[in-house]
Amino acid sequence: MAMLKTILGNLLRPPRTRGPADMPDVPPVYRGALAHDAARCTACGTCAFVCAPKAITFTQDPGVSVSWHFFIGQCSFCGLCAQNCPTQAIGLQADAPGATNSAAGDGLRLESVVRLQPCTRCGAAHVPLPDAVMEALWGVGEAERGYCPECRRRAASEKLRAAFVPVQEAHHDR
Amino acid sequence: MNLIERVIAISRRRSPWICRLNAGSCNGCDIEITPLLSPRYDAEQLGVELHGTPKHADIVLISGTLTLRSRQAILDIYAQVPNPKAVVALGSCPASGNVFAGSPLVLSESLDSIVPVDVWVPGCPPRPQAILDGVARAAKLLEEGATKSQLESRRGRLS
Repeated sequence: MAMLKTILGNLLRPPRTRGPADMPDVPPVYRGALAHDAARCTACGTCAFVCAPKAITFTQDPGVSVSWHFFIGQCSFCGLCAQNCPTQAIGLQADAPGATNSAAGDGLRLESVVRLQPCTRCGAAHVPLPDAVMEALWGVGEAERGYCPECRRRAASEKLRAAFVPVQEAHHDR
Repeated sequence: MNLIERVIAISRRRSPWICRLNAGSCNGCDIEITPLLSPRYDAEQLGVELHGTPKHADIVLISGTLTLRSRQAILDIYAQVPNPKAVVALGSCPASGNVFAGSPLVLSESLDSIVPVDVWVPGCPPRPQAILDGVARAAKLLEEGATKSQLESRRGRLS
């Protein structure tokens, strides 16, 4: 009787075989294909530094852009880049990377271009900070939004100086 | 292409026999091939059958870092596979050497510089389904006569 029940159960249940395109549910921490968000990238180079197989590299076109390059044929999907990215510009998506026909081009290499912007104060080209970082560090609606790191440092020290030394007195000293 | 050639081409796609070759792999990719042959992922739903000898195979799955010692073995085994044949490279190692690149006994070069590779399956290791997808692509190429070895032999016949 028990055997009959098992047989009936097996007949009613769908097959357990997975089709080639049938992706099972994966946990949210599954490390699949890499994705890079140029709008959040500050080109700090941390991902290239922590990448053990050196799958990530940066190249720059001085004054125009910084490019993030990723070669999937050298990636071991350890997730260190996503873990160490300070602005969460790199994410490992839940879908598995598909097969490709050539190691050199199509699909195996990713390039993501981060455009440089001129500083609103001195005009020097720099990588703009992503909005989230800007809000966390400088608050909303600051005048220093478009500044390059150098000008931002100067603005910060001027602010600090103004906080300690009253403005009139400072002029008097000079 | 006459009818018999067409039937042969279709049967190449419908029943590709594979042989796997470990060129110095950490065994991760080879372990993923085992579930591929199990009922869960079931390579045989596409007619894929694993064979122990390269002389019976249509598709060679090459996994692992290429080492100085495995280079000649790859060439020998590739030469034993009857034409037409396809090569599927499993994982990141054959493409670049992955984390082993740069060590003294590892050829830090792409497998393409040793034997012509038709399909690259990225992953470290790739999922069983990704491997199956790669094998299916290679079988499709075999049917179309578009694998690199087939194209090369055709070019040789023409010239």
